[in-house]
Amino acid sequence: MRGLDRQSADLSRAHVQLLRDVMEGRLSRRAAVKRGISLGLSTTALAGLLTARRTPRVSARQDSPLAGKTIDMTILGIAGWPPSQLGVTLAMEGFKPYAKETYGYDVNFSFEESPFDQLFQKAAASLSTGSAQYNIIISDSQWLGALAEPGWIVQLNDIIAQNPELQIEFVEAAQQGYRIYPDGSDQIWGFPQEGDTIALYVRQDLFTNPEEREAYKAANNGEDLPQTFEDWEEVDIDRFERIVSFFHRPDQGLYGTSLQYSKVYDFISCYCYPFMFSTGGEIWEGDVGSYRVEGVLDSETNAAGLARCKDFVKYGPEGVTNYGIAEEVDAFTSGSLATCLQWSALAFQMLNIDMNNPDQPADPSKPINRDMVLVTVPPGFRQADGSLRRTYTLGGQPWVINAFNDEDHMQVAIDFMKWWYQPETQAEFARRGGNPTDKATLSRPDFDTLQPHFRAYRYMLEGNSRDFWHDPNYSEMLAVQQEAFSAYVTDIEDDPMDALRYAACEQQRILFDNGRTDVEPSDSCADVTLG
Amino acid sequence: MTQQRGSERQLGQIIYYIILWLVAIAFFLPVLWIFLAAFKSGGELVRWPPKWIFSPTLDNIRDAINRPNFWEYFRMSFVFSIGAVAIAIVVAFLAAYSFSRFKPRGTNFMMFLLLSVRMVPAAAVVVPVFMMYNAFGWNKTFHGMLLFYAMFCIPFSLWILKGFLDGVSVRFDETALVNGGSRLHVIFRVVLPQVKPGLVAAAIFNLIFVWNEFLFNYLLGGKGTTMIPVLLATGVNQGGSVDWSFIASLSLIYMLPPIVAIFLFQKYLLVGMTFGTVRGEV
Amino acid sequence: MAQLGTQIESVAGARRIEATQPRLSRWRALEESRLFPAVLVLPILIFFLVWNIIPLLWLLGVSFYRFKLTSAQPEQYIGFENFRRLWESSVYWGTLGRTLTFMVCSVGLATVLGILLGLLFWGSARMPGRRLALTLLFTPMILPPVAVGTFYRLIYDPTFGVLNYYANRITGKTYDFLGDKELAFWALVAVDVWMWTPFMTLMTLAALGSVPKAELEAAEIDRLPWLKRLWYVVLPHGKFILMLGILLRTIDAFKTTDLVYLMTRGGPGNRTELVGVTLYRQGFEAFQMGNASAMAVIALLIAIAFTSIYLYVLNYRETRAALR
Repeated sequence: MRGLDRQSADLSRAHVQLLRDVMEGRLSRRAAVKRGISLGLSTTALAGLLTARRTPRVSARQDSPLAGKTIDMTILGIAGWPPSQLGVTLAMEGFKPYAKETYGYDVNFSFEESPFDQLFQKAAASLSTGSAQYNIIISDSQWLGALAEPGWIVQLNDIIAQNPELQIEFVEAAQQGYRIYPDGSDQIWGFPQEGDTIALYVRQDLFTNPEEREAYKAANNGEDLPQTFEDWEEVDIDRFERIVSFFHRPDQGLYGTSLQYSKVYDFISCYCYPFMFSTGGEIWEGDVGSYRVEGVLDSETNAAGLARCKDFVKYGPEGVTNYGIAEEVDAFTSGSLATCLQWSALAFQMLNIDMNNPDQPADPSKPINRDMVLVTVPPGFRQADGSLRRTYTLGGQPWVINAFNDEDHMQVAIDFMKWWYQPETQAEFARRGGNPTDKATLSRPDFDTLQPHFRAYRYMLEGNSRDFWHDPNYSEMLAVQQEAFSAYVTDIEDDPMDALRYAACEQQRILFDNGRTDVEPSDSCADVTLG
Repeated sequence: MTQQRGSERQLGQIIYYIILWLVAIAFFLPVLWIFLAAFKSGGELVRWPPKWIFSPTLDNIRDAINRPNFWEYFRMSFVFSIGAVAIAIVVAFLAAYSFSRFKPRGTNFMMFLLLSVRMVPAAAVVVPVFMMYNAFGWNKTFHGMLLFYAMFCIPFSLWILKGFLDGVSVRFDETALVNGGSRLHVIFRVVLPQVKPGLVAAAIFNLIFVWNEFLFNYLLGGKGTTMIPVLLATGVNQGGSVDWSFIASLSLIYMLPPIVAIFLFQKYLLVGMTFGTVRGEV
Repeated sequence: MAQLGTQIESVAGARRIEATQPRLSRWRALEESRLFPAVLVLPILIFFLVWNIIPLLWLLGVSFYRFKLTSAQPEQYIGFENFRRLWESSVYWGTLGRTLTFMVCSVGLATVLGILLGLLFWGSARMPGRRLALTLLFTPMILPPVAVGTFYRLIYDPTFGVLNYYANRITGKTYDFLGDKELAFWALVAVDVWMWTPFMTLMTLAALGSVPKAELEAAEIDRLPWLKRLWYVVLPHGKFILMLGILLRTIDAFKTTDLVYLMTRGGPGNRTELVGVTLYRQGFEAFQMGNASAMAVIALLIAIAFTSIYLYVLNYRETRAALR
């Protein structure tokens, strides 16, 4: 059993060893920094260590140590998640020759994968053994805390400080969602891999059909169907409901819309949160040590939001309460959904576009193609002042680097990150449907037109999306919440407030038990059950 | 009169056999549906109404065996199943012989404890083993995985073999010993052949258990120690949608060996499950 | 009997010379020593120590701690707190109750069906293709639960699932088998029954096979009615094997994890959350090793309770055999 005392003893022993290595010049500057970081040394301590070296040898080129070597890198990514796949494909196609040319070493990538809700288990089961089996991991944004707290991934501030190529400006949501832990600090742990937001996919062939428009107008006092991106910007949730109820024709095999109501992983949370966020709801408040969930999550606003979220179950296909990412792709591309709320990262799959050859359909036998679909912004929520607000859930994943990597693998990982953010790499990533997050790419004047979904993606990313907890206890908090929300949308629990109470009480207890807050769940929590 | 009754009986017999066949087929039907799915194109698989007749394609199977890792995982399935069962059978047979013949003190208690461990939910077993392996550095190692499976195969093997050994008359041992045979000779040359149905039954059941095992392999295994069930569980989602064709063809390939095994060794299964109370045909 | 004696004689005698070779003398010494039974048991004892005793102690130890693998904080001794929490948790009790319901329904149905099928197949010794028919019948029980779990999602699917197609043809409605709060649990039970009825059939056939032929023939001559024949002739012999089957199944049903995890993730809501799934979540989603260990200890105790029943049945049989 690890004791804190033993741990710190180990640490100080390691510090002494590090200092000795540095003094005797056995360790390169970079390696010292890396090891210092993995030991959790602060910048000043590191600076002290480094100046302690008697003969500071300024290395002009940092590529020499690895030249001529062959390094095998393993990336752990999300199974069946095209952006992860794309990252690895690009690494193999692009970084391999680049590394050979620029740094003079050979690198081979292999890809291990697990589905969303099992990837963290896989990663944590490996990292908890101190294993460097997975050199680079594509982490979901919420895991940052759980990976960072035990020191399993590399704290990047110093690496970034030393590598100007990595000093990149990202969109605020990406900076907060994929990089920072704890929230509000300046500690950086991740490099954005894929940005992601929720988008609305609309079957333009139906919406522009004159007969449909006439019929809709006749049924809705002359109100027209939204035709363009700009039209959709003005659509609020009530109008959206009118629209999807108009297209909801189960007898014809056409359904109004679909949200991800599945209990799996974070699906229903991601798709019901917007109904709370956008109407002023919050999920917790306070800081580490004083988090409050109870009384915040279980608010009247959130109860109304959750109820509103459930309203759309009736415009979905049978079984929509088990719909997740994949089920939506299948239903939409088979032509049975008029509209669909889905991650913008899946635009190519939703639009049936071949990732390796974006001019071609991925599966010609499917009835959907890119010209039939408009990717636009999801509906807004009317505020008291009459304005529309959209605060949707942020998706997306960062790259994180295994702290147990040896020096060589650490170097390759850093080189890889530098390469990843080169404008050419990001351009190729975007060309194949990946979602960049750096300001330089996003502010290109032609960005919105590069891909069918980029306009909606940028719109949502810049100020209209937010992430939720990065707390190390996120998986437990999520599990109870998924259970509660799922119970509510499947009628096991009739009262949205009871569902929220259940989630709030459990989350408060989880945070309290794990020393993240000193606020205990209230006594009334004892009586709260589901259904 | 007798002739008429004879043909009536014959007719009854035929109807009886037809019913039996229908029952067997009914149980197999869902499996058949999976197997058919392996030969359907992706579009046909999710077609409404479902199709029983279609033009088969081998693309899915070709695709499945060409996936990265397929052959390696497949190989590990064989290595772990056969390796673990072989170890377990030897260990269990020696112990079963000792328990059956010498009846050392604590036999019953030992048998009891061994079995109760087998009865705990997998997740409950894997929690402490995971922590222990972490401490010993055995996580994701070949021997860690192999011996763990061997341990899991031991209790059931021990129970079956002890049952069968109890059924083998001690006079075999005595006669052989009197004639100057060594104990090892008695154990392996005289007694062992008598419990062959038990050995085969224990082996088959445990082979199938290891072959199909997912949870332990997923959590304790890693590169080089992963078997096909992990791929079955994690390969469902491909390219953003559910890849039923892949799962179907992988299932087909993977289910065939156990099905062939129970076809070939069926009588041993039946005899084996009598736990040694029957020596002949069942 | 005489024949058996000669057989033993010849088997044992055949290798007499080989066996008496001197190089084996040290072995012989060992074999004759009182330690020999222990030597034979040694390998199993080592396995037992390393994979059962050590993890068990570990489990017990950790169950008294608050220990989260993904937390930077050191583990903290909290006594029986984990157990007290579980004792007071209505959620955990609900899950236990649900698991027991699942166990009773699934094992009960599989047993009844299995015995009926076993009896049905009893007289089929001369059926053409019996081996193939039985193979088809036994197939469900040898399938990987991960594959079954995934595939029943396809079969149950409300939009293109084959089962829904026929349900629709018959009732005119479609069913969301895995999403409906009333149906999901039973959809799960149905799959479990489908998978394990063949096992109970196998056990029934084994049980029927263990009845001495002579007694059956006597019953035939006495023209004993069919039911009485089962009750007085078959049951006394077959009871043991049948009970064994039921108990093995009970325990396996209690453990069900993969199947549920892949089919429903315990949903909708908590309707199919079973003990195994909860434990898995605590251990490997939350990495709350302390809490998970406490759950595991409880599961272990329940398992030991089942095993005791199992042993009771066995001993009961031995006592009966001794009395006869």
